[in-house]
Amino acid sequence: MSSMMGLVTNEWLKMFKKRSFFVAYALIAAAIALMLYVLHAFSSPGQGMFLPNIMTMVLSKNGIGQMVVVLAIVGIAGSVAKEHSLGTIKLLLIRSQTRSSILTSKYITVLLYTLTLCLFAFVCGWIGGGMVFGFDIQGHTFGGFLESMLYLWIYAVVYATLSFLVGILTRSTGATIGIGMFLLMMESLIVTLLSRYDIVKYLIFTNADLSVYVNGNPPFEGMSLAFSSTVIAAYLILFLAAGFIVFQKRDVA
Amino acid sequence: MIAEEQVLTQTTDTAHKSGEVVLSVKQATKKMGNKTIVDTLSFDLRQGEIVGLLGPNGAGKTTTIRMIVGLIGMTAGDVVVKGTSIRQDFAKAIAEIGGIIENPEFYPYMTGNDNLKQYQRMSGGIDEARLQEVTRLVGLEHAIHKRVKTYSLGMRQRLGIAQALLHKPSILILDEPTNGLDPAGIREMRDYLKQIASEQGIAVLVSSHLLSEMELMCSRVVVIQEGKFVTERALGAAVGEPDAMRVNIILRVDDTERAKAQLVQMEDIRLLGLSAERGQITISVHDSDIPDIVNRFGNEGIRLYRIEEVKSSLEDEFLKWTGGKQHV
Repeated sequence: MSSMMGLVTNEWLKMFKKRSFFVAYALIAAAIALMLYVLHAFSSPGQGMFLPNIMTMVLSKNGIGQMVVVLAIVGIAGSVAKEHSLGTIKLLLIRSQTRSSILTSKYITVLLYTLTLCLFAFVCGWIGGGMVFGFDIQGHTFGGFLESMLYLWIYAVVYATLSFLVGILTRSTGATIGIGMFLLMMESLIVTLLSRYDIVKYLIFTNADLSVYVNGNPPFEGMSLAFSSTVIAAYLILFLAAGFIVFQKRDVA
Repeated sequence: MIAEEQVLTQTTDTAHKSGEVVLSVKQATKKMGNKTIVDTLSFDLRQGEIVGLLGPNGAGKTTTIRMIVGLIGMTAGDVVVKGTSIRQDFAKAIAEIGGIIENPEFYPYMTGNDNLKQYQRMSGGIDEARLQEVTRLVGLEHAIHKRVKTYSLGMRQRLGIAQALLHKPSILILDEPTNGLDPAGIREMRDYLKQIASEQGIAVLVSSHLLSEMELMCSRVVVIQEGKFVTERALGAAVGEPDAMRVNIILRVDDTERAKAQLVQMEDIRLLGLSAERGQITISVHDSDIPDIVNRFGNEGIRLYRIEEVKSSLEDEFLKWTGGKQHV
């Protein structure tokens, strides 16, 4: 267990020690600041803009949340691929650690990094929104906002895990970012195109966003929070199993 | 099993000081598609010796080394490190091994010290003092807090040795360690490896295509070609056929024809070459035959100007072993 802590620390430092590490957080803060400025400048006082509206925009996958997912993909794309392109994989894999624990530590770091992005957006939205529009939450609960953040995190984790797998398969940071973003952009198109068929219910794209169940509207008939959670879990296990098997067997030449 | 037995006897014949076997490659085989890159290769590595893995380009040196450290999977066979199979218990076996695979690559945006700390966290039981010890050992104290991207190749190579020694391995494995180093760097590396082999009893396995380098560094060489074991030889003492203990000598005389007539009368002398213009005869003899030759020449009045030994270099030997077809 302590050895896993060490491995995760290593992975975190590999990201943290880069000069570009803070860029993702700076971009989120800047986007939220810009959004608040525009809302404040162009909305009349009587329009009823309050903190809950801000939090919804920040945590929605169609708002700042989309940016969080993109930044998560970009941030974790190099996790495995960069080790190959830098050549450090050779020194990484000849330690007294199994390949599966090394990959586990990388995936834990992916989860942590994605979580920090979501938390950061949450905190920025809360403080910034509160300062501009006041801290009146209009009968909403803080727990409800946290729940929205959790759903954003899960949504981001789905795409991060998919990109993590692509990174293992392609060993290329560029290809990983490209394919990850492409899938993210194609999400709604794929769902729309396949909406006539029953199979659409079982696609990861249809199920990735759990926030739709907050208002009680399933995207397709027969879907529920439990259903979507199960589908997400099944896909994540599938992606990870494929990634671990390939990483385990690969010859590093 | 039989093949293994043979390899072992051969090793005891050639090795002068035989320490404990710390690593054995047993029938290691690597197939890719229908191509066999390494074919039932077996050899041992003993405590405190520096063994060179020699072979022409494409002989399978790098593949062999990468199989030993687990970067490439084996199709068949095994590598046993101090009694632990690398295939059965990788983490335990690899803990005894420190490796530099080609030029060591580090995270360029981190300092040398940050890079070493990465490996410290991965191995356990390495304290801050050990970190400083290896840094001092490779002479990087002044640069260890600078980013690795500012390092020269020689400095990275030294940091490579530091990371390989960090967890106090009993075996050091280096794949082409002198690639890209200047002569001073190569010499430094060589002296350093010799030092740790003799002082700390670490067994070193080096692959290289620089034969002169291997000759200066190694106590033994294992020669492979097309993935197969060709021969293994102890270096330092006589390079050549150990059974016959023959020497090749050049005799310079005034009359090569008469000298030849005398030599062919003697048993057990092989005539290797004759150059009448230069007055030289090259022969292969036992040491004990040389006084006889001198006597005969004296009796016959053949004037003998010079006796020179022809030392065959590792390069000559190597070309002989590998058929001389491929360049190194």
